[in-house]
Amino acid sequence: MAEQTPVQIFRRQERQKQYRSGTFFLKLAVLLLFILVPFLFPSFKSLDLALKIMIFAVLVASFDILLGYTGILSFGHVMFFGIGAYSVALLIGKYGNPTYINLVIGFIVALGITSALALIVSFLSLRVKAIFFAMVTLAIAEFAIILATKLSGFTGGEDGIIMSMPGIFKVSFNMGKFLGVEITGRLITYYFILVVCLGLFLLMIRFINSPLGRVMQAIRDNEPRAEAIGYKTFIVKSISICFGCLVSTILGGLYAMWVGYANPESVLGIPIMLDVLLMEIVGGMGTLYGGLAGAAFLEFAHSFLPDLQNFAKSLFPGAHFLHAAMERWLLIFGILFIMVVFFFPKGIIGSVQDFMARRKTAPSI
Amino acid sequence: MSETILKTEAIHTFIGQHHILQGVSFEARADAVTVLIGRNGAGKSSTLKTVMGLLPASEGKIIFKGKEIQSRKPYDIARLGIGFVPENMGIFADLTVEENMQVAMLREDAATAERLESVLEMFTALRDFWRAKAGILSGGQKQMLAIARAIINDTALLLIDEPTKGLAPIIINALIDAINQIKQHSVVVLVEQNFYMASSVGDYFFILDDGKVVHSGAMAELVQDEEMQSKYLGISKSV
Repeated sequence: MAEQTPVQIFRRQERQKQYRSGTFFLKLAVLLLFILVPFLFPSFKSLDLALKIMIFAVLVASFDILLGYTGILSFGHVMFFGIGAYSVALLIGKYGNPTYINLVIGFIVALGITSALALIVSFLSLRVKAIFFAMVTLAIAEFAIILATKLSGFTGGEDGIIMSMPGIFKVSFNMGKFLGVEITGRLITYYFILVVCLGLFLLMIRFINSPLGRVMQAIRDNEPRAEAIGYKTFIVKSISICFGCLVSTILGGLYAMWVGYANPESVLGIPIMLDVLLMEIVGGMGTLYGGLAGAAFLEFAHSFLPDLQNFAKSLFPGAHFLHAAMERWLLIFGILFIMVVFFFPKGIIGSVQDFMARRKTAPSI
Repeated sequence: MSETILKTEAIHTFIGQHHILQGVSFEARADAVTVLIGRNGAGKSSTLKTVMGLLPASEGKIIFKGKEIQSRKPYDIARLGIGFVPENMGIFADLTVEENMQVAMLREDAATAERLESVLEMFTALRDFWRAKAGILSGGQKQMLAIARAIINDTALLLIDEPTKGLAPIIINALIDAINQIKQHSVVVLVEQNFYMASSVGDYFFILDDGKVVHSGAMAELVQDEEMQSKYLGISKSV
């Protein structure tokens, strides 16, 4: 074997260390938790919560590719999520039967539309300054919502499209019991989505650690400098936008498979985009894993805060002021959000990474 | 006389309404360090940025290795073999030193790996902070990283903008050694206000004043000419 340079030796050591670190085992534990949710918490609410955390974690990570890793603020990211959801819903819910082939075609059509639209958006908008790009994408996203609402003959308008799933993904499908848990179509859909989400997440990690990913981060830090080094930054930014949007589209299709419908409010709305932004801020920009922390924070808050009033009533039946305060759960959510931003200015994962980096002395090679 | 690798012919550059360069002509010869000197606002940094394509030249020609490059984009100019170290160093603060170097490597071949090793020999501090975020480096280390990034590729011409700005004298001496090593295999055009640095590494000089070249010649002549140093560089005459 040829003699290795110090840099090569250092890289080899880093690779070996990667699978023995504490964070690696923490990631495995989180994955294991998602796998075991149906067995540990066998209720639809728990399963629904776990799945939404999973989908939104990957959606936020795909948004992080744009904002956290390339420095592009796009308000149109959820529009691509909607394209995925509507494409699947139209193909198996409105214009076709619920078959596997139609489901696959739904995803392929969605990816095709997204590729074309993402390219047009990047070519139209990357020529303008960052804030104008954000405004252009917001306008396009708003236009998509109007289209989905007004073209009711095609999209079902505000009611959207309801669909049933093919074969093993059908809610009524049942394979019997395993370890005391019914193996239904919903459970199979859950695991299918888990596998795809995991694949997409690993793909994104590979993407940001590739040479192209490093150039994206260089553009985020100092675009003119990246250009002066020799990179066509416009092309790199376009690739980043297209990649992030394609991931978002696949997630939209998966989400529609889970909820069984697609309407403007659930898959295209600006409030969903704001949720994604909040998750990104809470989790931490430029961390990828921040999406998981942000999605868990928001989805838990959305699921459990509205029940706080009942919880307070059962614990303290006579405390009317407390009941009234708990009824305004959005206020509590706002306070929680401010506290997270205050104590974790770089987001939960970003702040933890900073803390660990400070503790660790930079190794020499 | 050695061959000319870079030549600008009467370049004019505007920043907004301001006519910054008003016909700058200079040349950089192979196997030499050419220094652009002058007071603040004379147009030195703008000259380098115009050569690099970061500021558009409204008139004039920029000829690199016999090719006109004034209408090319910065990424094209970089890929012709021109490295640029800007005044603010332009490091990628959120990337590690290693990632900064990887981004700068336009090719990942054996020659680049060899250059990386020799660059790390030259700037040993980078080796010590290899996995640290570049943002935490000191001013001198950032400057070393900026220069290391610029010479990691097969650079025929290196443009360095005020590398000594805000650095301690001991670091300046290290930079002088580094530039003397770099000049063995690359042509260097240096913008510098620190006359000690300029005279230590420079072979030829061009003095800029109000967007024009007002004097040029061999550095050895300028070192002797206290009158010119006082008039254009604000250096007081020795008593």
